[in-house]
Amino acid sequence: MSNVLIQAEGLVKRYGGVVATDDVSLNLARGEVMGVIGPNGAGKSTLIGLLGGALVPSHGRITFDGEDVTALPASERARRGIGRTYQIPRPFLDMTVRENLLAARFSLHPFDSGAKARAACDDILERCGLADAAHLRGRDLPLLRRKRLEVARALALKPKLLLLDEVGAGLVDSEVTELIDLVKSLRGEVDGVIIIEHVLRVVRECCGRLLVMNFGKKFAEGATAEVMASDDVAAVYLGTAHGGAKSEGDSRVAAVPVKAAAAHGKAIAGLVAKTDTAADGKTPPVLELRGVHAGYGQARVLNGIDLRVQAGQVVAILGTNGAGKTTLSHVVSGTIKPTAGKMLVDGVEITGSPAHQISRLGLAQCMEGRRIFAPLTVEENLLLPARDVPTAQRDERLERVYALFPDLKQRRFNGGTSMSGGQQQMLAIGRALMSRPRLVLFDEISLGLAPIMMDRLYEALTELRAAGLTMLIVEQDVERALELADEVHVMEHGQFALSGSAKAIREDPRLRHLYIGTAD
Amino acid sequence: MASLLNEPVAPAEHLNGMARQSALLILPAAFLALAVGAPLMSDYVLEIGFRLLLLITLAEAWNLMAGYGGLVSLGTASFVGIGAYALTGLVNKAGLPLALAIPGGGLAGALLAVLVSRAVFRLRGLYFTVGTLALAEALRMFMVNYGGLGGASGLFLSQDPPGLRDMYLIALAILAVTTAVMTIATRSRFSILLRTVRDDEDAAAQIGVRPFRIKLIAFVLASFLMGMAGALQGLKVGAVEPYGMFGIQWTVNVLSIVIIGGQGLRAGPVVGAVFVVALSELLADYPALHLAITGLILILVIRFAPQGLVGLVQSRRGARRGAE
Repeated sequence: MSNVLIQAEGLVKRYGGVVATDDVSLNLARGEVMGVIGPNGAGKSTLIGLLGGALVPSHGRITFDGEDVTALPASERARRGIGRTYQIPRPFLDMTVRENLLAARFSLHPFDSGAKARAACDDILERCGLADAAHLRGRDLPLLRRKRLEVARALALKPKLLLLDEVGAGLVDSEVTELIDLVKSLRGEVDGVIIIEHVLRVVRECCGRLLVMNFGKKFAEGATAEVMASDDVAAVYLGTAHGGAKSEGDSRVAAVPVKAAAAHGKAIAGLVAKTDTAADGKTPPVLELRGVHAGYGQARVLNGIDLRVQAGQVVAILGTNGAGKTTLSHVVSGTIKPTAGKMLVDGVEITGSPAHQISRLGLAQCMEGRRIFAPLTVEENLLLPARDVPTAQRDERLERVYALFPDLKQRRFNGGTSMSGGQQQMLAIGRALMSRPRLVLFDEISLGLAPIMMDRLYEALTELRAAGLTMLIVEQDVERALELADEVHVMEHGQFALSGSAKAIREDPRLRHLYIGTAD
Repeated sequence: MASLLNEPVAPAEHLNGMARQSALLILPAAFLALAVGAPLMSDYVLEIGFRLLLLITLAEAWNLMAGYGGLVSLGTASFVGIGAYALTGLVNKAGLPLALAIPGGGLAGALLAVLVSRAVFRLRGLYFTVGTLALAEALRMFMVNYGGLGGASGLFLSQDPPGLRDMYLIALAILAVTTAVMTIATRSRFSILLRTVRDDEDAAAQIGVRPFRIKLIAFVLASFLMGMAGALQGLKVGAVEPYGMFGIQWTVNVLSIVIIGGQGLRAGPVVGAVFVVALSELLADYPALHLAITGLILILVIRFAPQGLVGLVQSRRGARRGAE
């Protein structure tokens, strides 16, 4: 038995004219945990697809455990011990969580005793923190629990090689710690692990070796510490997350000639509708929630939320997964009706209004998961919210969005979902701005993005703030949210456990306790 | 969100447990009662009963593919037709007794399924549906134009069909076989594998399930049952011809039954078949109105009760249970 677990030579994958991975080779020794990092759209997920067998390479060869598996379909590779997760989870929606895992056991060992299979599955569910969800249908799990299910299902195969595709995205620190512990605990059972991840802590603590991809090619490879310290890698990927380079972003902004910057700012200001302020100075808040309760069926998620967003203010909502942040944003956008309490816009009660009426009032939203319309081009996606606007104005807004995100202009005729994750997020933000809103709700815009891409998106948000846009930000990334926001609320168990100015919250020891949990 | 995940036992699982226990007792008792009661039934009741049993058998088989396997086929007529022609051939040419010729019809259906599987499984989702429709139409056109099997005018069965009461009992026996097959297929670990393929074929492959094999098993089982039902229909009529046996009305009837009753639910085909047959009896004197009303009901069910009548009752009951 050789020491090489999987070896890929010269992998090329073309989609029509587009080359997703270009001549990538890699070697994974037994017992090794390797990380694959790189900007969104660098071809990382394509690489996982090629190794797992979901995609057929245009060129190249894959040897697993001493056997050439290039021509084998995904099912045969899985049976030989390659387990993978999907970046966007694909649970079997109408089956229970336990059945999702049992399927893997039964397909491999059709004649094993049922009790044994169930015990093995329950053991894995326990380790992945899903024991309490064994009876729920896949459909009923929220996104982050579906990610756990992806890992659990891959483990149910008892794989020799585990391919993890961004399972850490969206986790708070304590959950990241859990994930790291889980990966480390697999050492004895799984011969090798390949991790694609933007959460750098996972990469740093789990992986011995890193492979950096950029534009479909191998950009760098080496020991984790070396790669993370490399200036080249920082330039294409790490951005300000690269140690000590925090001021770099600021200096880049300052480098823009003052005159051009002013014109740029003016262009962006045109995307923001001003709220009329009353003469007596007692303007009602743009958005106000009074004692809002909401939930799904039996489950109560929000337990009395009071929230005021004044014109021009940036309010951030922080909190652990499951605290109710997404439910809150659904209430604000009108997709969930509150069971009690009131919602007011400009002091007028609109509780229970459908989503399209709320958006008419000047509230736009940038939803979690982007929700780009795949059959439409970038420009068509952008034009959707501005359907009723006269052409001249519409084109003007379009130009302003393009000024904010030049990447989108270059790709205006491309399919909306053909772009990288970061560009899609730009599109989602741009689309929210096209209705010339007064308030935009940004829900988890940094989820699953490369650090350098987060920098660029938050630069754009900073510009929007300067232009006077009122923002409600639901965010996982505490640091970035605190930098941008005027006022911050930290949620716990469907309530605001901590509220105050960004400065006060930053210094409040309870933040660490509430949000970061027991980590570090 | 935490409380959503802490629910002790999902209601669906609870219902399953009860259904499992009752099925073991109630189903055989029901079959026995239907068999013992046969001598007491009038010709009208036997006639309706036969049609009902035949349609339930077809609907059960179709439900295995579409409801549990996600293989929405519009090729039901091919397998009914093949079964009917096979029975006629086996009786006329080989002189087989009915006890062998009827399963022979089923085998012919299964064989056809194996033959076309490579081609139709290349297609997924809607394309599979259209592919099976093309198969059914192609077979019908072939039968119309090929003289060797009687062409458009078809063939007569060389022996007299059994009496109505016997036909009813044979249909009951075939439905009993179907019920046994369905019970095994939907309760066993095979059903878990089949449902993974229905929910997400690629993800299923990624955990080691071989989608082709799983789909083929479901397809062959369903086609065997459909072939037997077709053989029975051929026997009942005493003659086979392409327009009747390969006609699209088989496909449409079976599809309406399962959609109205409830896809992917065990009781769906039975409830749907009773509903559809009762409706056709009530409106027997107004054929045009019958078609229009069936269409209207289909639209309403698809819009307001996507899980069919059985699904509607279950969700109502689930909601009431939740409210308590």
